[in-house]
Amino acid sequence: MWPCVRKSPPAGTPIGAIHIVWPTPEQTRVGPLLDYAYKGEVLLPVPITVPASAAPGSTVTLKAAAAFLVCEEICIPEDAILTLDMPIVSGAPGPDPKWGAVVARTLADAPKAAGLKAVFKRDGAVLKLAITGAPLKGADMAGAYFYPYSGKVIDHAAEQTIERGPEGLTLGLKPGFDFTTGTPPTELAGIIALSGQAYEVTAIAGEPPAGAFGLGPPPAAARPADATGLLTALVFAFLGGLILNLMPCVFPVLSMKAASLAGHAHDPGKTRLQGLAFLVGVVATFLALAGLLIAVRAGGAAVGWGFQLQSPVVVASLALVMLLVALNMSGVFEFGTSVQGVGGSVSARGGVTGAFFTGALAVVVAAPCTAPFMAGALGFALTQPPVISLGVFLALALGFAAPFVILTFAPALMARLPRPGPWMDTLKKGLAFPMYGTAAWLVWVFSQQAGSIALGQVFAAAVLLGFAAWLWGHAQTRRAVGKPSLVALLAALLALAGAIALTALTAQATPPAAVATNAAPTGPGLASEPWSPEKVAALQAEGRPVMVDFTAAWCVTCQVNEKVALSGAGVAQAFRDNNAVLLKADWTNRDATIAAALAEQGRAGVPLYLVYPAKGGPPVILPQLLTEGMVIAAIEKAAS
Amino acid sequence: MSKVTRRLVAAGLPLAALVAPGLAHARPAPAFTAVDIDGQTRSLAEFKGKTVVLEWVNEGCPYVKKHYSGNMQGLQAAATADGVVWLTIASSAPGKQGHFPDGGSARTWMNARGARPTTLLLDGEGVVATAYKAKTTPHMFVIDKTGAIVYEGAIDDIPSNKVEDLPKARNLVAAALADVKAGRKVAVAYVQPYGCALKYKDA
Repeated sequence: MWPCVRKSPPAGTPIGAIHIVWPTPEQTRVGPLLDYAYKGEVLLPVPITVPASAAPGSTVTLKAAAAFLVCEEICIPEDAILTLDMPIVSGAPGPDPKWGAVVARTLADAPKAAGLKAVFKRDGAVLKLAITGAPLKGADMAGAYFYPYSGKVIDHAAEQTIERGPEGLTLGLKPGFDFTTGTPPTELAGIIALSGQAYEVTAIAGEPPAGAFGLGPPPAAARPADATGLLTALVFAFLGGLILNLMPCVFPVLSMKAASLAGHAHDPGKTRLQGLAFLVGVVATFLALAGLLIAVRAGGAAVGWGFQLQSPVVVASLALVMLLVALNMSGVFEFGTSVQGVGGSVSARGGVTGAFFTGALAVVVAAPCTAPFMAGALGFALTQPPVISLGVFLALALGFAAPFVILTFAPALMARLPRPGPWMDTLKKGLAFPMYGTAAWLVWVFSQQAGSIALGQVFAAAVLLGFAAWLWGHAQTRRAVGKPSLVALLAALLALAGAIALTALTAQATPPAAVATNAAPTGPGLASEPWSPEKVAALQAEGRPVMVDFTAAWCVTCQVNEKVALSGAGVAQAFRDNNAVLLKADWTNRDATIAAALAEQGRAGVPLYLVYPAKGGPPVILPQLLTEGMVIAAIEKAAS
Repeated sequence: MSKVTRRLVAAGLPLAALVAPGLAHARPAPAFTAVDIDGQTRSLAEFKGKTVVLEWVNEGCPYVKKHYSGNMQGLQAAATADGVVWLTIASSAPGKQGHFPDGGSARTWMNARGARPTTLLLDGEGVVATAYKAKTTPHMFVIDKTGAIVYEGAIDDIPSNKVEDLPKARNLVAAALADVKAGRKVAVAYVQPYGCALKYKDA
């Protein structure tokens, strides 16, 4: 049983002539309701001024009639008449030995007037409250919350979104009753609570100042590191790293390298050294990439692993790079400074530096391949505190490097590898095809982002690139036989420049109307509607179960889930039977609202599947790998 | 003296003074169906063309007990005599304070208290309460003949659980019904409800 004050400040509570210093309350969810409450022991200090006429040596009796409720599930009303005899002394009395320290702390923590500037502006379904001032500069904004004094200005149960700015913050509130009237309020007063300190604010209508936004939502609050959870994450990251070795971009690089090592397996000391150098290269590159990403996020940009795929130009460039690698593997041309070339030629000389750079380059080449496959898992890692996310990336790097390093330390295994020979060339040419596939898939992603004119430009660039590669290869052959062709080289460079220019042009491409892709049915019989937080609230109010599919065209897991778990007739039937609705939040292009919704669930990337119960209340999070049965069960549970 | 404390004093002023008159507030009342104490399925639609009062109840709540000292029964009798439909709704979830497992237990409580609503609806799943975002017991709604919510919130303007405050309080539901009857715009359309938190089932 804990005493609490419901709906604080309790409008209309008769407190007579005395003034209570109310501490900052806590938010307490009760079913669909949100109460502002105090939990545990709460002190409500009452400042008293001793009149000048008070005579030292005499005693004054303070009396208070207190009416209060003691609540947990139910509230029990209590009344008490309290009296306290206080001796009047001259000079300032010392603090009470029992209560002095706690009272002082309560007063120190109570909301303070800090001269903060605040303005509010209604923006459709969102009430923006922008607060700026010196105490907010660089403050920890995670969990910032506005407690209004009036119970009518905002919808208390609605989530408050937080956007940071260099000078303060902007909260997104849901307008309350007062904003449904013809005469909206002219003032919005209350308490802004940050972690550790709270300030009084009185906002007037106006335009949010530039310093109150622009830095995105605060990084997810650091959760206490749970040892078993961390261990699981590390183990899975290690396994994930192992699997990365099989990625189409990585496998050729490493298998070539392994085969060439087998060529000089007679010197175990040298191969071991190379294995270690490779390990260091992989780890250093992984940590550097992760560190960069963490730094960018700390700067406030709402990015996740895979975020680079939200820019159409980057996607187009990657598609062309993949095409180039594939053409190289097909033998159209030999790239003297190609990824494989550097690793191969240097390591052939037995250089430790060469092995280090093979590791580094394997990671760099792997990154664009891995991002879409690992977006979900790495997104999770990025919501952790930096030390933990670096740990996860380290485990990933170790897993990635493990097969190769083990190989170099086990001469017996090495001896079993097939001898290098013509088969390597055949394998390489065969492995070119997964690369063509990757390029094709990236072009498809691009078409989702940029529309058909830009798609034409990318295809033209691809043809030019193929032409350039062929010319280059031709020139190489000529040089090999001692007849260098400057014309072919120049033409190749021209074609390459044309391809790059065309790709750069796609930066101006306008994305196709989002509605067109959103409204497309996900599968037979199951249509989805575009997502918005308001829509979820409206459908829930109608008593309908809602499933939200946070997805993106570049997210392979998302596409697989949509095909496997969301397109079946059984799922469509379950949605019909339970009057459920599927909403799709498409993150293919950048979208601040979706990024904020993901952050709210502690995620940095897609996929994310939420099922909101028909009766209201917070959503259930489904696993990132869906099955039809899982979706049907979740929808039925949400409807019951 | 801190500003917070002054705010709280201001909040203690008569609530009606804080509400701007002439509100353009008339959101449509969400449709609902629920089973009444006789086991009949009732819907809001069947009362179209009549003024309807919704009253959320939890028989164990001290605030409800305060108003069932005679105040609520009097309001119900006066309203229903005027042709108003009065629906008392019990939304406490099973196992929670104020839950009625069946119509019989609700009727026993009504008879013991002399309650006179048109009927009492059993909403143990909280469906109707969720649709109306009911927060407390009591929480009152007045719906006019066109199906628009013209008043929602507290039953009166003294948020206490003390019977002795009743004579001093201004009853906001009675005022809203008088305005509706006279064909006037309801002067006070919303006052923050007070009472026990509605006993929704646990999420």
